[in-house]
Amino acid sequence: MRLYVDSAKCSGCRACLVACSLNLFNESNPKKAALNLIGHFPAPGVYEMKVCTQCGNCAAVCPTECIKLNERGAYYVDFAECTLCEACVAECPEDVMYVRVELADAAWKCDLCGDCVQVCGTGALWIAD
Amino acid sequence: MNGYGGSILRVNLTDNKLTKEPTPPELARDFIGGRGFGIYHLLREVPRGADPLGPENKLIISSGPLSGMLSAGGGKCDWTTKSPLTNGYASASMGGHFTAEMKYAGIDTIILEGISPTPVYLLIDDNKLQLLDASFLWGKGAIDAEVALKNKHGEEFQIAAIGPGGENLVPYACVNHDFGRQAGRGGVGTVMGQKKLKAIVIRGTKSVPVADAQAYRKAGIDLYRACIEAEGHDEWTRYGTTIVTSWCDEVGALPTRNFSAGSFEDGKNIYGPVMRKEIVITDKGCFGCPCPCGKYSRSRRYGTYVEGPEYETIGLMGSNLGIGDIEAVAEANRLADDLGLDSISAGNTIAWAMECYEKGMLTQEDTDGLDLRFGNIEAAFAAIKKIAYREGKLGQLLAQGVKRAAEQIGKGSDKFAIHVKGMEQSAYATHNATAMLLAYMTCDVGAHHNRSWAITYDLQVGRDKVVPEKVARIIWLQNFRPMFDVLGSCRLQWVELGIDRDLYVPLLEAVTGIHRTWEDLEAVGDRIWNLTRMYWVRENPGFGRSWDLPSPRFYEEAPKTGATAGQITNYEDVQCLLDMYYEQRGWDDNGIPTPQTLQKLNIAVQTH
Amino acid sequence: MTATVRPYGILKEYINHQNETQVAAGQTIRQAIQSFRMPPEVVALVLVNDEQQDKDYIIQDGDYIKLLAVIGGG
Repeated sequence: MRLYVDSAKCSGCRACLVACSLNLFNESNPKKAALNLIGHFPAPGVYEMKVCTQCGNCAAVCPTECIKLNERGAYYVDFAECTLCEACVAECPEDVMYVRVELADAAWKCDLCGDCVQVCGTGALWIAD
Repeated sequence: MNGYGGSILRVNLTDNKLTKEPTPPELARDFIGGRGFGIYHLLREVPRGADPLGPENKLIISSGPLSGMLSAGGGKCDWTTKSPLTNGYASASMGGHFTAEMKYAGIDTIILEGISPTPVYLLIDDNKLQLLDASFLWGKGAIDAEVALKNKHGEEFQIAAIGPGGENLVPYACVNHDFGRQAGRGGVGTVMGQKKLKAIVIRGTKSVPVADAQAYRKAGIDLYRACIEAEGHDEWTRYGTTIVTSWCDEVGALPTRNFSAGSFEDGKNIYGPVMRKEIVITDKGCFGCPCPCGKYSRSRRYGTYVEGPEYETIGLMGSNLGIGDIEAVAEANRLADDLGLDSISAGNTIAWAMECYEKGMLTQEDTDGLDLRFGNIEAAFAAIKKIAYREGKLGQLLAQGVKRAAEQIGKGSDKFAIHVKGMEQSAYATHNATAMLLAYMTCDVGAHHNRSWAITYDLQVGRDKVVPEKVARIIWLQNFRPMFDVLGSCRLQWVELGIDRDLYVPLLEAVTGIHRTWEDLEAVGDRIWNLTRMYWVRENPGFGRSWDLPSPRFYEEAPKTGATAGQITNYEDVQCLLDMYYEQRGWDDNGIPTPQTLQKLNIAVQTH
Repeated sequence: MTATVRPYGILKEYINHQNETQVAAGQTIRQAIQSFRMPPEVVALVLVNDEQQDKDYIIQDGDYIKLLAVIGGG
């Protein structure tokens, strides 16, 4: 299972980002979310949304092996073991592996909680195999 | 403080002084946020009789406890100032993503004071606060300025900017944000231009504290699910506000040729589905919106992009100008946005000029050679540009707003200047819709629709009926609907999807830790409504009943065509509406809140 | 020769709070609306097979017609 996105349906509202931060960190903060929204305005006037495909490249390069599989079969960061080395960030093909030391003491990524899908009003996000 | 950024940012542009102070908890308790904060600071801090374009006037930007939160449509902030258009209370609601950045930068309210000696812009990057030179932006369109500032500071920053209309002090200049969202009405962009503040650039990366994160998550998701699963969600989202265009045309509410009628013979060419098919390229949501009304469009003919047009602009720059061409309306919309003009006031004012021209009250000498007939697309574009730059006789005339322009021209043209209190009426023709007419007459900023909207109620009760139930309905809406502007969340989820408003109660409690029912919130709304009324009383000697009268067009001149042909509201009924309204509000015959009413609401405003 | 009408929200009141009802093809939408004693002006939008049509559209066999009310305006 993984998260999918159809960027053409995305309206750029960022509800998913708030829901993501709330589930991942128990905090309200769209800057601490694991989806990557890029607006292309005023032209050509489209949103581009990148999501984690659970490819596992991040886990493969993690020197402390702190990126692990959870019960949903998704890779997540064990915050306590992360050393902020950023090796995972460079490996992520979708730019959704985050290290922002001013915001959090560990790297973070999508753990497939599904809350983003719950709040997406345009059907741009879904979970499937 | 749970649910709040926690601070007020005070920017003194005269002295280049930026200071922060905590948001007082009792202010949050009594006024909650948004529009509530706005009127509180306006009454307390802007001295009585201040010149709207003087250094004493302030521009107050406030988010609310649901702004930026997991609240369906928490993208709203309020811009309050003393209006250079009306000399009264101005409060414009802006969607988009600006308010969320405020909250996450730890700021509930930005108070802009004084006047900068040179053009500047305000940079807020969490705790980093700076006024920076804006000479390279001055003169640029609002959209170009936004592009330049995004390129300079980064995609994560949100930008609110004025265009040439604000720089040139057109009294209905708007603030533009996110390539197509505006704080549109009442001249908030004018005040910003007068302060020589070209733009605000903001990013916030802090977390907003909440009282109960788990309850917040649950209540937030419940609200989203209710919106997404609501019947009509998909259709509403497909068309946005343009869903009503065809219906307004059918029932005679679509302003046509300066509100001389309510149905337009070329209406079919500007309906929502035509727009969706011809020009829309994506839905564009404000922060956190599950049913985005924003439609982003591309015009092949003009080679341009614009957010919209939404219903108001279609009404005022389409049918009201006799233009039945959705692509032309979109281009007029883009011009108004980029030049920084409120498309409602601009469209309304140009329509008045077109009527003057067709009646011979304005000649080609007055229009700088423009053939300003209804339906002349190129003339409409030219007029918009002239207004923003105050160019030529026409630009200078129309850049005053419709009320002052009609006073200058005379010849009876004030009879068809469609405004209340000097604010141009938005896009509902009210020849035969007495509740809606009363809504415009008594709206606290002038002839604007967003406080209360009641045309369906008119249809339900009987359009021409003048009964206490209609008045009660308007008062209830005026107390209730603006509370969304206080909370910082959009009203359209409730308005258009018909979701249960009680879904907001547990959400607000989880966020702020304070339990408030809608009854509690409406009481705050009632108090704010009376405070804004007292602001008008305080600022305008002689303020009273006559200020609440609508344009004579709605009681003297029945439309000749369309669904409301031959229909009109009697002048006696207009007065009767006011009698009932004042009585139910607890105001005197002149429309002034009585001492007993003020005492009951715990309001003390020094008016003399 | 019938079509399905699906009124949204408050418009359901006119068909005894059912979700859908059948109407005969060959009549206009306006006639069908009036047959439910629904005032045509309370219907904000008519979608026939997801395309907007006006109330004078003549109903075809098999059409799926959605009727949307104006709830609260702008």
